[in-house]
Amino acid sequence: MNKKHKSISYAKWGYIFIIPFFVVYIIFSLIPTLSTFYYSFFNKGFDPVSFEEYEKFVGFDNYVKLLSFEGGTNRFFSYFGNTMIMWVLGAVPQLLFSLLLAVIFTSARLRIKGQRFFKTVIYMPNLIMAASYALLFIGLFSDVGPINVLIKAISGDTFRFLADPWGARGVIAFVNFIMWFGNTTILLMAGIMGIDQSLFEAAQIDGASGMQVFTKITLPLLMPILVYVAITSLIGGLQMFDVPQIMRVSDTPTQDTTTMIMWLNNLITGASRQYGMGGAMSVLIFAVTGGLSFLVFKTMVTSPDKVKSKKKAK
Amino acid sequence: MKKRILAALVASAAVLSLAGCNKGGSSSSNSTTSSSGNTSTDASTSSTTSEPTVDAYAEAQKAGTGVFDTAGEGKVFNIWCWNGDFKKYVENSGYKVPDGITIKWNEIPNEGGAYQKQLDAALLKQADAPADEKIDIFLAEADYILKYSNAKVTQDVKKLGVEQWATGYDYTYKAATSADGVLKGVSWQCNPSAFIYRRSIARDVLGTDDPDKVQEAIATWDKLDEVAQKAKDKGYIMFASPLETYRTFANNSKVSYVNNGKFATHDAFNQWLDQAKKYVDNGWSLTYDLWAAEKAAQMDVDGKMMACIGPAWYFNFCMGTAQDKTPGDWAICKGPQAHFWGGTWLLAAEGSDNPKMIADLMNAFTANEQIMEYILKDANEFPNNKNVVKKYAEDPNFGLAFLGGQNHIKVLGDMTDDIVWDTALHTVYDQTFNEDLPNNMLTYLNGTKSKEDAMKAFYDKLDDVTGGSIAHD
Repeated sequence: MNKKHKSISYAKWGYIFIIPFFVVYIIFSLIPTLSTFYYSFFNKGFDPVSFEEYEKFVGFDNYVKLLSFEGGTNRFFSYFGNTMIMWVLGAVPQLLFSLLLAVIFTSARLRIKGQRFFKTVIYMPNLIMAASYALLFIGLFSDVGPINVLIKAISGDTFRFLADPWGARGVIAFVNFIMWFGNTTILLMAGIMGIDQSLFEAAQIDGASGMQVFTKITLPLLMPILVYVAITSLIGGLQMFDVPQIMRVSDTPTQDTTTMIMWLNNLITGASRQYGMGGAMSVLIFAVTGGLSFLVFKTMVTSPDKVKSKKKAK
Repeated sequence: MKKRILAALVASAAVLSLAGCNKGGSSSSNSTTSSSGNTSTDASTSSTTSEPTVDAYAEAQKAGTGVFDTAGEGKVFNIWCWNGDFKKYVENSGYKVPDGITIKWNEIPNEGGAYQKQLDAALLKQADAPADEKIDIFLAEADYILKYSNAKVTQDVKKLGVEQWATGYDYTYKAATSADGVLKGVSWQCNPSAFIYRRSIARDVLGTDDPDKVQEAIATWDKLDEVAQKAKDKGYIMFASPLETYRTFANNSKVSYVNNGKFATHDAFNQWLDQAKKYVDNGWSLTYDLWAAEKAAQMDVDGKMMACIGPAWYFNFCMGTAQDKTPGDWAICKGPQAHFWGGTWLLAAEGSDNPKMIADLMNAFTANEQIMEYILKDANEFPNNKNVVKKYAEDPNFGLAFLGGQNHIKVLGDMTDDIVWDTALHTVYDQTFNEDLPNNMLTYLNGTKSKEDAMKAFYDKLDDVTGGSIAHD
């Protein structure tokens, strides 16, 4: 049937069907992106004293301000640091844990029963809004919440997670971990199931151990999916906003949990609405995201080739 | 199943978080529709005193009865607000909207500055907006009212027929007056902030829960310290938050935070910070913020918190745990120093096509005593009308069940004369000074950060808000 359709040229319909996407993309994504670049060269905002909007071309001033070290500190880099710390704290355990789960679920030897059930359960946190999830965890980790009731029963004293720099970062990373490990697991499972089963069978017949199968077959062939997961996770991590924004109680140390996007949000929602500064900030985040993604791509994608060449050498 | 449990947890977390509700109160009031269905005020028309203001007041008492001439008025009256409270009052207080005019409410939640952002944008485009979409009245809070009252986007309401009634509290008018002396709006409420204490703990610590005797025991800051130590000896804490007394100090400051374009902490702030540190270090106060779930938990049956500080809207709308679990075990007294906290004002937008309706609504919600009685009795707020306050303050049978039958109007009414508002001390960034500044001090007060680091975090926030237009150390 498919072949029959392909033989007649319906190509133009293909283009027509994707027009809506491009229209929506140009209006809601491309134009705003370009205008962000444009306004990053302006001092644009609102003066609440005179109640007037202003807009003035300033060239690269906004970028200079963002990247200069005034008094030995730079807020952009320190917030970038916060973002990366919280991303690594959440993403590394998440990747390892998801990989383990994916291998267990797809293992022909183990044949886990009730797979559908487990898949649904681990994916569920992702279905809940990040905001509700963050609120839930504020309750769980508050001084009167269940976690502290447990800690108090054991140690006799409570630990105020969200008021401690590392406690707050840890809880934020943990929430991101819980929310996303199910999604990653399912992606990795799909990746593993895409690997030719005969390779696993051959390895088994040759007497390879589970660990050998994992390091010699699963991991190298899973690399493209792993790269995809790592890069999407990195992009998501650099844009971390909702969870740390909501998991901020008044005594949370802001200098330790503010992410780049949270600062951007502060700039454009503050009384003086610094859109120009926000634009420059967005462009920097764009550059950082692009650069880091490229780096991850380069370092991870070369490795399967190395594996292949090793194999050939053998 | 798991989802259901999660949903229940999420819901409970949401409820906990709601304990920190918006200033101006939430909708949890148990008010019923006003009994004053018939709002005719014939009695007042007979007054023939020679003093012109009294005549004007008698006339103004008829406001809100829907009888003004609507010729030339726009068909749609637009009110911008951030919650449904005022809408509820307008609809239930007996206020009659004149025939031919409908009120359109535009409710934008306050969170993340969304309300002010959209309001500012709309006000800037007011001149080009179609008549039916022009903003007529919008609501503003004490912490940012100056931004609007000083700007060209609001108009002189005296020209529209609104007076500065002698029955209103002076500071509520000062707060809505621009730096050059033009009245831009009014408020239906007045917000003296009281010392709210737990009766059972007061009995244990002081041997009495009588408001007069408790007031005597805590009449000065030094005396409060002594009581705090006594409370600690008995296993209680005076406050759950060191921010509790911030407004008392800050709103009585004689100096502004900003002088010649530069921010500096003033004496009142430093006094507060020293006191707050002392309370935390001595174990007299916990280190939570004003809206923390942990503070609410201290209002529960086994809670140890002796007191908190707040106006009528606070104990009626924001002490949910106490309202549910320990009603009747609370009382109020003046506390060491009188002050106000919060408040919502009605401001008249420039370019409105309903000038008569603006005057009618503003007069109704200040001078119409039937409506103001609704504000007091049904809406559980403290009305901006001395006649109504006097009537209820002198009524021996009037009281709040939550406060064990205490007549809160009498206590709050006695505090109103000491409230001060000096426009010269306020800035358009008051919200940042009154919320972000003390909140950022919590990391210093709980010992996580040094005072310098805590201050640095606030300076960062200040830069974000002001765009660097206000200098600091």
